[in-house]
Amino acid sequence: MPRLRTLSDALADAAHADAGYWFLPAGAETYRSYADLYQASCRVSRSLVEAGLRRGDLAALVLPEAEPFLTTLFGASMAGTIPASLPVPVTTGDLARYLDLAGGILRASGAKAVITAKILAAAFERLRNGCPALEMVLALEDLDAPAIEPDSRPELDAIAFVQFTSGSTSAPKGVALSHRNVAANVEAINGPAGLMTGATDVGVSWLPLNHDMGLVGMALGPLYSARPGVLMPAATFVKRPAEWLRAIARFRGTISFAPNFAYDLCVRRVKAADLEGLDLSSWRIAGCGAEPIHHPTLEAFAKMFAPAGFRATSFLPSYGLAEHVLAATLPPRDRPLRSDRVSLSALTASHIVAPAADEDNAVTLVSCGGALPGHELRVAGEDGAALPERHVGEILLAGPSVMAGYYGQAEVTARTIRDGWLHTGDLGYLSDGELFVCGRINDVIIVNGRKYHPQDLEWAVDDLPGVRRGRVVAFGIVEPGRADRVVIVAEASGTAAPDTVVDAVRRRIGDLFGLYVDDVALVPGGTVGRTTSGKVQRAATRARYTQSKMAGPGVKS
Amino acid sequence: MSTIAEGVMDILKNVSRRPIEPALSNDLVADLGFDSLQVLEVVAELEDRFDIAIAVDDVPSTRTVADVVDRVTRLVAARSNA
Repeated sequence: MPRLRTLSDALADAAHADAGYWFLPAGAETYRSYADLYQASCRVSRSLVEAGLRRGDLAALVLPEAEPFLTTLFGASMAGTIPASLPVPVTTGDLARYLDLAGGILRASGAKAVITAKILAAAFERLRNGCPALEMVLALEDLDAPAIEPDSRPELDAIAFVQFTSGSTSAPKGVALSHRNVAANVEAINGPAGLMTGATDVGVSWLPLNHDMGLVGMALGPLYSARPGVLMPAATFVKRPAEWLRAIARFRGTISFAPNFAYDLCVRRVKAADLEGLDLSSWRIAGCGAEPIHHPTLEAFAKMFAPAGFRATSFLPSYGLAEHVLAATLPPRDRPLRSDRVSLSALTASHIVAPAADEDNAVTLVSCGGALPGHELRVAGEDGAALPERHVGEILLAGPSVMAGYYGQAEVTARTIRDGWLHTGDLGYLSDGELFVCGRINDVIIVNGRKYHPQDLEWAVDDLPGVRRGRVVAFGIVEPGRADRVVIVAEASGTAAPDTVVDAVRRRIGDLFGLYVDDVALVPGGTVGRTTSGKVQRAATRARYTQSKMAGPGVKS
Repeated sequence: MSTIAEGVMDILKNVSRRPIEPALSNDLVADLGFDSLQVLEVVAELEDRFDIAIAVDDVPSTRTVADVVDRVTRLVAARSNA
């Protein structure tokens, strides 16, 4: 394992190499060498110090564009402050509710500063009333101090950055990673047992930078190995998936990661004309992770793009989570997908995995490989003890990539990391030492590679007319090998027409999270139970919903 | 005008993964069940069919089928006048 470096040291090292990032916003293209980026980051760093930010202060970044986001992240980190990425507004359609959400994170995290684009600065300035610790709202355009290197550099065990993925409730969860965490994971991924990143590698990505795979995998991965990284906006990819493949072909990209849905989108939407002249033969690592992997999707992708030179052995299915920086397991490179066809009904906790007997009740799972070097993986029963092979249990992880903690949330952190083991909330089993992920025991909903906390969705629609406050439950219907279905069950207050309420719920969730709610079920008052501590009974409501769906159309939707 | 509306309806039906009969008053998300990915897919298809460029930033204010038809109509007119 190479020497572990802080973000700013990795950037300073990369500044000596002939490499940098290509930024491909819609219709434009800019190249920034790591040397340029280092200068720009020194400028940001100096500006933050001059503005009065001190070592250990939390600085929240609300910057949707890649280049300013990275410069600010590196600069803030160099200054010894803790940069935190906040969710950015999906649309401006419901800015007020977005600001409520952002305000909740700023208040609970005690952020000292918000750094955002000038056009959003005024809106954040207004949030200061409700956030006593928030001393300043800085417009990115004003961070123009001279590029002076800071006197001291952060320590390896200082927090490198915090990623807030959830916010609405009083206790927003921000994953805090130390420089040591980040470096350990990135070097293990780049190393010989991982991608073996070398002198000819080029990363290409459309993943958002407030996503662990986008930031750590596709921006920091190239930086730590001083190789070029090509970054395009997510919207460009979603609008025209072929643009991703064209960028790989044009830059002779060798490494590109994406969630399963991205490969599916290519299969469904790339047209025959797009395939003409497309050369994907340089693509040696086609990473797939961040959400359940659907075997037929990868097979269809490999078949469709084989004529363009794509090799099925390039697929690298992986398992990981932000709380473990990015990756937890990787399979060996350059081999066909290893899969396991198993019985669906046996894939629950404490069951032994059975081979599929009945084809209607079968699913093909894809191996995500073994633990990274220097890291540990365990599939455990409820008592935390390791289970034998092919027994389904919770996936636990230990080693240098386990997060420092949830920022400012000691109690939740202590529940999540016990005796050095990160409890992932994901279910899986080992077979020949390789991990197959097959479910979840926590409430997280995963759609298109993004995790959503049900509390956030519940909070988002709680104040809508026609919805009884505090009587909303959101959950995902999780089935192995399939995308989660998003369901919201809400007690109707009767003050608005049901159709209007259902529309408003969908629109609100769409505006705030860019997420489509598959089913909105309005139920009579008294249906959504609460625990003695006043929390909604999510599991009980989900069980009732699932049962009534199986029994027929019982719950109105 | 009617041809633009028909073209839009056609695209909406193709992009949707369920059988829909879109009406002008329908909301893309709430009524027709489009997620944010499909909305951008609609945008790409509209650009190809009508030879126009739709800024991604404009998309959020486009909520109903009538909004889409209206925007496309104006972009097509602007293109013809150019």
